[in-house]
Amino acid sequence: MSAQALFTGFFGVAAVWFGVVVFRTSSMVRSALALLFSQAAIGAMFLAMQAEFLGVLQVMMMATEMSIMAIFMVMYMMDPGGLGEMEMTHQKRASIAAGALAALAAAGVAALTDWGPAAAAPPAAEQTERLGAEMLGRSMLIFETAGVTILTAMIAATAVAIERRRRR
Amino acid sequence: MISGARQGSPAGLRRLFAAAMARDLRAFVVPGAEVARARGLDVEAAGLGMTGVPRHASVLLVVGELPAALRRAAAVVYAQMMRPRAVLAAGAGDLSPLPGADVSVGLSQEELEEGVARLRTAFARGAFAPGAAGFEPEMLRARTEYACPMHPEVVQDEPGACPKCGMELVSREAADGGSGPHHGGDHGGANGDHGHGGHGHGGMGFMSMVEMTKDLPRSSDGLPMEWVEAPFGPLFPGLPGGLFLKLTLDGDTVAEASPSACGWASPGPLTGPADALAERLAGIDPLSPASYRVLALRAVEDAAGAGADERTARARAGALERERAASHLGWLSGFAYLIGHRWLARRAAELQLAVLRAEPAGMPGLRAAARSLARRIERTPLLARRLEGIGALPGGTGASGPVARAAGVRTDARCGEGAYRALGFEPVVREGGDALARLRVRLAEIEESLGLAAAAGSLDIPAPRTATGASGAGAATVETPRGTATLRVALSDGEVVSAELEGPSARHLALVGRVAEQRELADALVGVASLDLSPWETAR
Amino acid sequence: MSALAVLAALLAGAYLVAVLEGWSATGRLRPAGPAVSAAALLGRESVVPRRPDRVLFEAAPLLLLVSAVLAAAVLPLSPRLVVADLATGALFVNAALAYVMVALLMAGWGPDAAYAMVAGWRFLGQLLGYSMPIVMAIAAIAMRAESLRNTEVVASQAALPNALYQPVGFAVFFLAAMCLAFLPPFDLPTAPGELAGGVEAEYAGARLAVMRLGRMVLVVALSAAVTVFYLGGWLGPALPPWAWSAIKTLAVAAAMLLAGRYVPRLREAQVLAWWWKLGIPLALLNIFWVGVVLLVAE
Repeated sequence: MSAQALFTGFFGVAAVWFGVVVFRTSSMVRSALALLFSQAAIGAMFLAMQAEFLGVLQVMMMATEMSIMAIFMVMYMMDPGGLGEMEMTHQKRASIAAGALAALAAAGVAALTDWGPAAAAPPAAEQTERLGAEMLGRSMLIFETAGVTILTAMIAATAVAIERRRRR
Repeated sequence: MISGARQGSPAGLRRLFAAAMARDLRAFVVPGAEVARARGLDVEAAGLGMTGVPRHASVLLVVGELPAALRRAAAVVYAQMMRPRAVLAAGAGDLSPLPGADVSVGLSQEELEEGVARLRTAFARGAFAPGAAGFEPEMLRARTEYACPMHPEVVQDEPGACPKCGMELVSREAADGGSGPHHGGDHGGANGDHGHGGHGHGGMGFMSMVEMTKDLPRSSDGLPMEWVEAPFGPLFPGLPGGLFLKLTLDGDTVAEASPSACGWASPGPLTGPADALAERLAGIDPLSPASYRVLALRAVEDAAGAGADERTARARAGALERERAASHLGWLSGFAYLIGHRWLARRAAELQLAVLRAEPAGMPGLRAAARSLARRIERTPLLARRLEGIGALPGGTGASGPVARAAGVRTDARCGEGAYRALGFEPVVREGGDALARLRVRLAEIEESLGLAAAAGSLDIPAPRTATGASGAGAATVETPRGTATLRVALSDGEVVSAELEGPSARHLALVGRVAEQRELADALVGVASLDLSPWETAR
Repeated sequence: MSALAVLAALLAGAYLVAVLEGWSATGRLRPAGPAVSAAALLGRESVVPRRPDRVLFEAAPLLLLVSAVLAAAVLPLSPRLVVADLATGALFVNAALAYVMVALLMAGWGPDAAYAMVAGWRFLGQLLGYSMPIVMAIAAIAMRAESLRNTEVVASQAALPNALYQPVGFAVFFLAAMCLAFLPPFDLPTAPGELAGGVEAEYAGARLAVMRLGRMVLVVALSAAVTVFYLGGWLGPALPPWAWSAIKTLAVAAAMLLAGRYVPRLREAQVLAWWWKLGIPLALLNIFWVGVVLLVAE
């Protein structure tokens, strides 16, 4: 039990530390990769909390997603290597205020809510089965809508980006 | 101690490493694997593994004499090799600014193998030495300057802030203007040169991504990216050695391509006694020496007013055709290496060496092998898709040789020669004008050339009549493997008074821009390689 | 104890695959080849390029090795020989292998060199092609096994290996595995002819040895994945289970290495077009097919 708390805490701290690195470094690629490892640390937290499927899924998705974000950063940012030590932050006051407020709100929710007793996690295979039943049962509408929306967005974005081609 | 020994005393574990390194030698061939093959050397059979990455090589194999510019590029490659490293010179003369050769051999396969054996012992004994020095020639010392990443024109010698935008200046190496376009070697060593194509924006307020990229010129794939200058050559493993290609990459699309070649120094080989003109011209291009030898012989005979008899003409045709087949096979091997078709690269190299060493009796057998190779290539899956539409050039661009014949232009200097007509020669013409058509033309020419060489019966150029005391002016044209070459000479009393040489590659160099620009990097390189340039036959 | 045995087997497998690769490249079988090359690499000096991104440059080979080992850790050699038989094993393989991409991105960006950078981004382009079909193929396998646990996946193939049950999925997964391991003809990141070594170009000495080891372990891990998912893992008559696993894994590795010798490298545009226009529809068809067969055979 305490080992679990230790690992969860360790990965949580790692996630926060990597999150800080995202904003402290001026290299765009490092920033994207730091965000990647921050999210992977959250996935590791899930694993430590015995939510096996969610943890593995989080770790897997973040690798691909953040790598693609890295290439977008390289494409569009002026100094992706961070060699110019340009001032990369904007609207400092507003963002500090918003960040502090959000942190207070999250801490408040975490501390003040009555989460109920922590149940023992069911075995991993059962978790996967229950997740599947949930997704195809009660939450089917949500996931299907989300899936179709994303697909539509992908197709629309591709169609907008392609130049019109003359038919040969 | 070998010239590039690593610092340390050769004891214990290090001796094990040295023994392992002696058995696992990897060579970086200068000026290129195609030159080694054209001279009849089989590097892998001699026991050296070949690599195109300087950092993974332990031996620098220098084949033949190098012009000064290539020696400087080779020195840059040597500096990039990891220690312990050594230099093996085969038929090379002065090597400066490289350190002296650790093992020096002549240009033959037996001597190469013996040299490799000597090199192995040298490595096993001398890979680690307590007093090893580094390699720091003057030309590699770099001066640091400071530039603004956003405004590349703002350059200072001390660190500071950019006067235009206030950004911190970033240090980089100053481009050394003295050694010309060959500085920077063949790797992105002096890279860090991120040229920005004109950002127009005001002030340092919040900039959206769209705003920042709206003024960038769009490349053919529609994505605006940062422009990077990357040097490809002069010792780039996929391109002919001696060809320097400076590409400006927009992402992975080539925005600009500017080629230059090492070439020969005009008028050097052209002047001198007429009897030795053939030898001098043969020394210009290691990839097709026989063609230039025949060109010189014919030009001198034309100037002296004497013709060649039928037997000599047939023998010369045989030699020319043998060289054409070998040259095309050598090109095929390098091309296959570029497109990643490893089996074909080995097979073509094997056949090339076999053709170079063959006797006239072996020609029909080689012709059958070439025919089966061509058939197998046609049946290779995905090859046609890989090459179709790449490097497309329409006819009439002033090209000659297989490049022109692949575009449907029926031009061949051999059509007008009696010896060829007697042998039943027909030029090979294909439509398409792209890399696939050029491949097909060359495959067909290999087969045809081997057949003609077999029919000619003799593969060696007979000794010419002496031309002492001859005077007059004359010209000759020869269809080299790459295109038409023309030589005009004026003789006076057995001496060459004036001469003009035109090779095909000079015109083809001018086509590189059209072939490479606005193409994805790999396609651009394939297009350039399909032109079969010889950087040696252009005048500097 | 079994964990150590599996890791030792992994190392042995990587060594044999290195011998196979040397044979397919040069045509000569040199059993001592990888050992000699490794010793030679360790004896060479290792330099860091000018102004690299040091963290990324150093981390890339290690991340490649670690992700390959993690993927191999959940693949069983026999019902008892597995490092960690996770309940979500099949998905975990894919999760670990996703970090190969991250490692190559780091290797491409780290050295601050044009060739490496282009090579790194090219691998991302390749990833956009194969990453969806590979997960869809795994989904179809899990459908038949009704579990993501690798030992159960193998057990579900007792009647018929998946290669015959879902041949389209087998082809898709095999090709996607070759793309992931950037083996020829999908070797855009290290293209020897075009990019003078690409991501490996700036590495030398001990770091290059780690990178090459990582690459070999990756090939072994992917071959083991193909074996477990499609060829019935350790199932087979007469020989002990681990022997069957080893034979099948090596056979798959040999097939992967030989396939690329006879075909030229694919263009990046081609790779992407084929995966998206052909690969993903085929993978979806495979899922549909497996679903129909499962329902009909019930």
